[in-house]
Amino acid sequence: MTRNAFLWISVAILALYFTVALLAPFIAPYGATEIVGAPLQPPDRGHLFGTNDVGQDIFSQLVYGSRVTLIFGFCSALLSVSISTCAGIVLGYYGGNIDEVVCRILDILMPIPIFPLLIVLTTFFNPGVVQVSILMGVLGSIHGIRLIRAPALSLAETPFIEGARSIGATDLRIMSRHILPNLMPVVTAKFVSSSQHYLVMGVGLSFIGLWDTMTVDWGSMIQNAYSSGALSLGLWWWILPPGIAVVGISLALALAGYSLEESFNPRTEVNRI
Amino acid sequence: MIEVDAVSKYYTSGFFSRIRTYAVEDVSLSINRGEALGLVGESGSGKSTLGRMMLRLVEPSAGRVVFDGIDLRALKTPAMRQLRPRMQIVFQDPDTALDPRMTIGESVAEPLMVWQQGSRHERDDRVLELFAMVGLQPELADRRPFELSGGQKQRAALARAIVLEPEFIVLDEPTAALDLSVQAQILSLVQVLRKRMDLTLLFISHDLQVVEQMSGSVAVLHKGRIVESGRTADILHRPSHPYTIQLVEAARKSEEWFGKQRGNHGSGDEV
Repeated sequence: MTRNAFLWISVAILALYFTVALLAPFIAPYGATEIVGAPLQPPDRGHLFGTNDVGQDIFSQLVYGSRVTLIFGFCSALLSVSISTCAGIVLGYYGGNIDEVVCRILDILMPIPIFPLLIVLTTFFNPGVVQVSILMGVLGSIHGIRLIRAPALSLAETPFIEGARSIGATDLRIMSRHILPNLMPVVTAKFVSSSQHYLVMGVGLSFIGLWDTMTVDWGSMIQNAYSSGALSLGLWWWILPPGIAVVGISLALALAGYSLEESFNPRTEVNRI
Repeated sequence: MIEVDAVSKYYTSGFFSRIRTYAVEDVSLSINRGEALGLVGESGSGKSTLGRMMLRLVEPSAGRVVFDGIDLRALKTPAMRQLRPRMQIVFQDPDTALDPRMTIGESVAEPLMVWQQGSRHERDDRVLELFAMVGLQPELADRRPFELSGGQKQRAALARAIVLEPEFIVLDEPTAALDLSVQAQILSLVQVLRKRMDLTLLFISHDLQVVEQMSGSVAVLHKGRIVESGRTADILHRPSHPYTIQLVEAARKSEEWFGKQRGNHGSGDEV
């Protein structure tokens, strides 16, 4: 299969997830926390994926849970890539001493693993989903700054940038009209791969209960099922749907990321399948 | 018009010793309004650096650059920006001279956008007018640089350089990346534009024949210093500095190899 086919498949899967998240109230038959029937019912016509230990409808939880999970993943990715892009372009364009100092600071920050750091920070501040996503966006942008800075640096040296300066274009105009558009391929690929990264990380954080455990999302669903022994009791309908949902979107995003990367950089001749 | 007075550019390296590497050292020259000066030298002789310093695209380390009575180095950034439309540069490599994400029309109109001249409609008209001046077909306005040939790109770069009606243009080896027949076309286009707009030119090249066609006087740059300068005909026929002699000899040999006849007066009309 060509990489274009991969890209379109992943876009189709992503579109499906977004439609479900947007139209959640119309798709879900019940509320996310509503108790609608007997506990631990296996899937049947009334409850597509059965019910959990307190009698909530798992399909409805899955549908509503997609909202938190998707918003978390994409918002932190958006924040992180915006910070990386702005900082990377400014550092790459101006260069000089500021660039040198900031890069040394980034060198110190880069080896700090984000996930453990987030666990520590969340234990201290006990934040909600929004705060965690902002925190993660900021922390995660460190790597991206280096990624964007490198091509911005080489672009800043090209004649057409010098030409823009010679017609009297302001620095702001050069950065927004010339450097940014030429970096869009890198930025887009970085955004897609970060959203996958953060989405899975968000599910992980929610699984270990780092934010309000009453929030219904895929991580907390898996956590509830797991801690109640769904695996050993054979209650597959409780734990599989959110798990498959996470794997599905993560694969779709990874696929999109790889195919974007390859189409923007044709020199990477990797045949992945 | 433009005067360069004892200008140097050096790069320091080494943490303690501060070794200075000179790209251009103590160069003085001046160009009168409407005249063209050729700047000749081998690669790495500092030609491009000197040209860029005259537009303050590269900051000189020492010396003065005076443009129309204004000391460029004394200007703050906003004042320098105000002066930019009066001076322009055309680069050697047409492939990187235009933003690959912009259409040719956008690139040519960009100087007008920056200075907010005219309405959208007027800008479009002006772009087409310039396209006609430099000999580009109007339909190329919607193309992107990679769809054009080298010569077309260089024409577009010229159009972009003259759109704000500058007085002084630095041509940094504008034909070095083009093949011979296209070279001749671009050179005669530059001549036409120069006459029509009364331009002052600094023509940087390593090709003596080209300089002979383009400019009445020439300065020879060798290892960052001017080793010889004067009228083009004098220098090419009676070079005095060893480096210039070498340069002229080399050019003559390659001409013989091509079986060409050197014209006595250095006129470039036969192209």
